[in-house]
Amino acid sequence: MLGSTHPFLALVAALTLATQAIAVRAPQAIAAAPTPQPSLAPPGRIVSLAPSITETLFALGAGARVVAVSDHCDYPPEVTRLPRVGSFNSPSVEAVLAARPDVVIGAPSPGNHENVRTMLRLGVRVEIVDPERLADVPAMTRRLAAIAGEPAAGERLVAAMARDMEAVRRKVAGAPKPRVLMLVGQEPLIAVGPESFLGEMLVEAGAVNVAPAGSWPRLNVEIVIAADPEVIIDCSMGTEAGTASLAYWTRFPSLSAVKSRRVHPFRAFEALRPGPRVAIALEELARLLHPERF
Amino acid sequence: MALTHVTWARLARVNGLLGALLLVSLAAAAAIGPVALDWRRVFDASSGIAPDAVILFRARIPRVLLAAIVGGALAIAGAALQALLRNPLAEPHLVGISSGAALAAVLALVTLPVALGQALIAPIAAFAGALVSIWIVVRLAFVGERVDPYTLLLIGVIYNAFTGALLMFINSVVDLYQAHGVLFWLMGHVGTREYPTLAALGLYSAIGLALLLWRARDLDCLSLGDERAAELGVDVECARRAVFVAAALLVGAVVSVSGLIGFVGLVVPHLMRLLVGADHRMLLPASYLAGAIFLVWADTVARTALGVTEIPVGVVTAICGAPVFAYLLRRERRLVEQ
Repeated sequence: MLGSTHPFLALVAALTLATQAIAVRAPQAIAAAPTPQPSLAPPGRIVSLAPSITETLFALGAGARVVAVSDHCDYPPEVTRLPRVGSFNSPSVEAVLAARPDVVIGAPSPGNHENVRTMLRLGVRVEIVDPERLADVPAMTRRLAAIAGEPAAGERLVAAMARDMEAVRRKVAGAPKPRVLMLVGQEPLIAVGPESFLGEMLVEAGAVNVAPAGSWPRLNVEIVIAADPEVIIDCSMGTEAGTASLAYWTRFPSLSAVKSRRVHPFRAFEALRPGPRVAIALEELARLLHPERF
Repeated sequence: MALTHVTWARLARVNGLLGALLLVSLAAAAAIGPVALDWRRVFDASSGIAPDAVILFRARIPRVLLAAIVGGALAIAGAALQALLRNPLAEPHLVGISSGAALAAVLALVTLPVALGQALIAPIAAFAGALVSIWIVVRLAFVGERVDPYTLLLIGVIYNAFTGALLMFINSVVDLYQAHGVLFWLMGHVGTREYPTLAALGLYSAIGLALLLWRARDLDCLSLGDERAAELGVDVECARRAVFVAAALLVGAVVSVSGLIGFVGLVVPHLMRLLVGADHRMLLPASYLAGAIFLVWADTVARTALGVTEIPVGVVTAICGAPVFAYLLRRERRLVEQ
């Protein structure tokens, strides 16, 4: 698995980001599990097992029917009042059943598939959506809209996202693309690789990603100094327990990003998940990369 | 146990040789890395701050030095524990002292406010955690008057499971960003630290080494058994306490910067006992130098084997160390049965 990180780290990265389904693919058993066809009546009680799903359901106007969410769901603010059913990696079957769901919607994660299988065995309707890449977001949105019985809202949301993304793309079009390092941890240095959702967002925002390969490569800082990024987007700064700080980067004075003071923490990090806020997150990224265009 | 005769000349010869080997290793490791350096640009002052110079002096050399200090400290901590517990399989990580130190450091980091200065808190907490862990593990492992080797290992397994569970518990209750930091402690990682940190760490490990060397004769006697040691005029309790504090200082200091790195304290003292004998005046400095050499090379493998992607150094030391541990365990069993 050259280029990809230690599986445990991949898991950590996935958890850290709370953007499930980026680092780990669905086990076949789940993907192929027989799920009942959406019934004609839209479900009145929905349990969401992932932040991106919860966000999308609220954006579709189905928020009032979401009755329970995962521990990691934090947006929109209303969800903090909802009952929790465990982490996205290990949802509690009992808590899900207690919410008396008409449908449970989850994303593939390394730890949830036994529990999801149990829910299926107990006759719960479970739908699995898997927004692994940026290109999957419209399809995921439409699928969630279909499950929630809000197809028209789904089309409107997809169109709005496409329009907002396009607006950002137009703003940065033609601008010289800076070399960029985006990272989620300093020690060890875990970068956003080109084969991840965040890596795709970087490219969309008009960057050349200096991380060479993989989805969450664990890099030696030498590689970074040699690649000499013009912008460093450090998602760990000010958030990680312990070591993360700007001082880490000023130690390496040859870095263009240090010389031109373009080492940025990324505050809109929570929005960087494959959901309805992709365009907002993209604009935040583009603003850091191309301040002259905003 | 026959103690090999130690003379100043022999001490100088062995340590001179290992010291030279360490210097060669440091230089070689500094020359090897995922980025091929252009040596003319490294030393060319006219080009301003060349990336090659920054890579060498700010990234690679601090890391190689950190590996040396951590490796040396872990090796002598292992050697001291093995003598004190009369157990060739005692090792800071295996008996749970390292994870106790990591647990204390993580607890301090997640509960205390950032303003208190985490760089200062982590080593102090890790030292305290290591000290408490040694005390608990040894207390539990005492059967009658002595520490039974296999009981000690089992207590270590259980203590590791316990502290590991607490770490995973903290990991599941802290927020997602902090969780990333918690897992760092479990993985073992030689990072790029700043020179003042290296100096402080070097000082801690020098104090630990000095404390152990001062007690080297006591360690020799203690490895014959508490009663024999007492007959030879050693204040057993006092010596034991001094060695525990020294080991905790060493383990706490290195765990606070590099997390859990196993097996260094096992492999290195064993190899050195074969090469230079069991006299601690000889064994301790030789183990320190050899431990430094071992971890410098283990970390060189960790940072270069996969090209641009890194392997946690604990993976490399475990792959080298676990087979050695299995071999030693088998040999011990056979010796016991004969």
